[in-house]
Amino acid sequence: MSLVIQFLSQIRNFIRKQDGDSLQSWLQVGPNSPRQYHELRAELRNQYRQSGLDNIIQKCLPDDEGDEVEGEAVPWPSLVTFIKEYFTFWRDADYDVDLVRTHQLLSTLVSSCATALTHPAYGAMLLKTSMSLSDVLARLTMTLNRRPELTRQLRTSNDDESRKSIAESSAEIIQKIFTACLNDRSSDRSSPPKGKRVAIYIFANLVLKLLFAYLRTHFLTCAVQCRRIHLAKMIFFNLGANSPPLSLYPAAQRVTFLYYLGRFSFSSGNHYLRAANCLEAAYLQTPPRFTSHRTNILTYLIAANILLGRFPSANLLQRPESRTLAPIFFPVCAALRSGDFIRFQAHLAEHEDWLLEKGLLVPLTHKLRPLLWRSLARKTFLLTYVPPTDAASRKAATLDVADLHTAAVYVQRRLEGWVPRPAGHAHQPNVNLLLMKALANNIQETRGTSLVPPPGKPNRLRPNEGLVWGNAEVTLDHVELQLATLVEEGLMHGFIAHGQGRFAIIGAKAKGPVAAGWPSVWQSIQERRYEEDYNPDDVPGWVRV
Amino acid sequence: MASETTKPADAAAAPADQKQQEPTKPTVLGEDDEFEDFPVDDWPENETEAAAQAASGGESSKHLWEESWDDDDTSDDFSAQLKEELKKVQESKGR
Repeated sequence: MSLVIQFLSQIRNFIRKQDGDSLQSWLQVGPNSPRQYHELRAELRNQYRQSGLDNIIQKCLPDDEGDEVEGEAVPWPSLVTFIKEYFTFWRDADYDVDLVRTHQLLSTLVSSCATALTHPAYGAMLLKTSMSLSDVLARLTMTLNRRPELTRQLRTSNDDESRKSIAESSAEIIQKIFTACLNDRSSDRSSPPKGKRVAIYIFANLVLKLLFAYLRTHFLTCAVQCRRIHLAKMIFFNLGANSPPLSLYPAAQRVTFLYYLGRFSFSSGNHYLRAANCLEAAYLQTPPRFTSHRTNILTYLIAANILLGRFPSANLLQRPESRTLAPIFFPVCAALRSGDFIRFQAHLAEHEDWLLEKGLLVPLTHKLRPLLWRSLARKTFLLTYVPPTDAASRKAATLDVADLHTAAVYVQRRLEGWVPRPAGHAHQPNVNLLLMKALANNIQETRGTSLVPPPGKPNRLRPNEGLVWGNAEVTLDHVELQLATLVEEGLMHGFIAHGQGRFAIIGAKAKGPVAAGWPSVWQSIQERRYEEDYNPDDVPGWVRV
Repeated sequence: MASETTKPADAAAAPADQKQQEPTKPTVLGEDDEFEDFPVDDWPENETEAAAQAASGGESSKHLWEESWDDDDTSDDFSAQLKEELKKVQESKGR
């Protein structure tokens, strides 16, 4: 008897018994499947024409719906289509010869499996097969994702559909299975999941993994970003509307889902509070032995918390999972504490590749600037404020905007390459000649500053590297505007007396001027009020009760 | 993978029978997945910090984060340089 017929008779047997485990075990598609599958391929290639094969499948898997014995199942039309695709896959796919073609065939196969899965009475017996097929599809997609030379030919087409990435198309196919599982109404939302619903988060996590893998390896155009975000949002919306609580699912699925939901909140719309909520829950539910998972979660949890004004403690940075993260984040926090733009930017530049790969460079570069400005203003106040000698004085504690302007110009010049004037340089015999020349040429410029201009031209700063915009001059108006923004955001407490050119602190008498003028960033952000329809504690997609 | 128990007795020559044999292809897919699948699907809550945190009403996670990190120290290099600059500028303005 041919392998094809033996195979089909076994499949029919498993279907009759609704034996999902055996179906999964037999319907293999991986590159390391046993020798018999390769023999099956040889037989399919050598002994069958398509029409003959279709007839045999039809004969071995007759659609007897209506004639089934009680407790037994019979093949159904979409299952027969799936089995036809299964043989087509084995006949035409070859992992060692053409990965792109293999991906196409596997995509068609998984898609037909998704359709067969929707059968209301018998579809559930294909659930485990759907899992294993989707898993291979995701792995193959991840492999192709790292081999752009293989998929380049697909992207040169102008056809919009084919410009869709391999990862996106795989994600969409697995999303079909996710939807089929979510729509299973065999149990209600509040009770432990049954039937296809047990696998909701397995498929959601696979889709999210593919979407984020694509983010990691490609610079995305707006259109692609939007499609990707739309796909993820659909998953979260559908979960919010139909899923049982996440807490009813196994820990590995919970943690993986919260990791991706946190990353999604982090990268789309900058919902750092939501991101921190998800990622903290993921971190706290992951046992210490899973160090690399904890490192991945902490990468984004630490970044989100820093953006919210909450820094990792020494205790956290000493944990094994923080070993590679501490050298990145500790100096960031140190620079933020002192308002040191120069150290901050030098440090980000040093780790630019890593930060870019993790999707952290842009948020850290731009969104931490208010915190740097806040600390620079605070430091300038500490350096310039003279408390009144008369304890009964009613004079307000103020920061001179001109002093902060001085500090800002100093920072901008340092970024442009100016250097601190060496103490007593004129008397040193081996003083740098270039420095002397620069000094001689810039007597006017160096009057009233502790800095020396760069010997050549100033560093050309990228827009994000300057205090305002690249090499644009920092004016008093810029500084005042910056202070007004910090007050508006609740990061400084007081008002700007424009006529006097001063920032006046409110509540200095009770708390002391520094504590009153610069409230805790974390507290201020926690106390922010939002539009009625936005609640940072309510993360769409995270079903809690 | 098929196990011995899933094999029907009369399917001696069926493809799933010889799964213990060496794989014919060395291809490995998706090896360097960033957030790998966990090796186990579930674990007891008492292995995690979440349980301890719930018991302490959130206190136990506070040691992980610093909410008050402002630095009043002005003896570092950057502060000293800013101080020097502020002094120079004020002198030049004759203040």
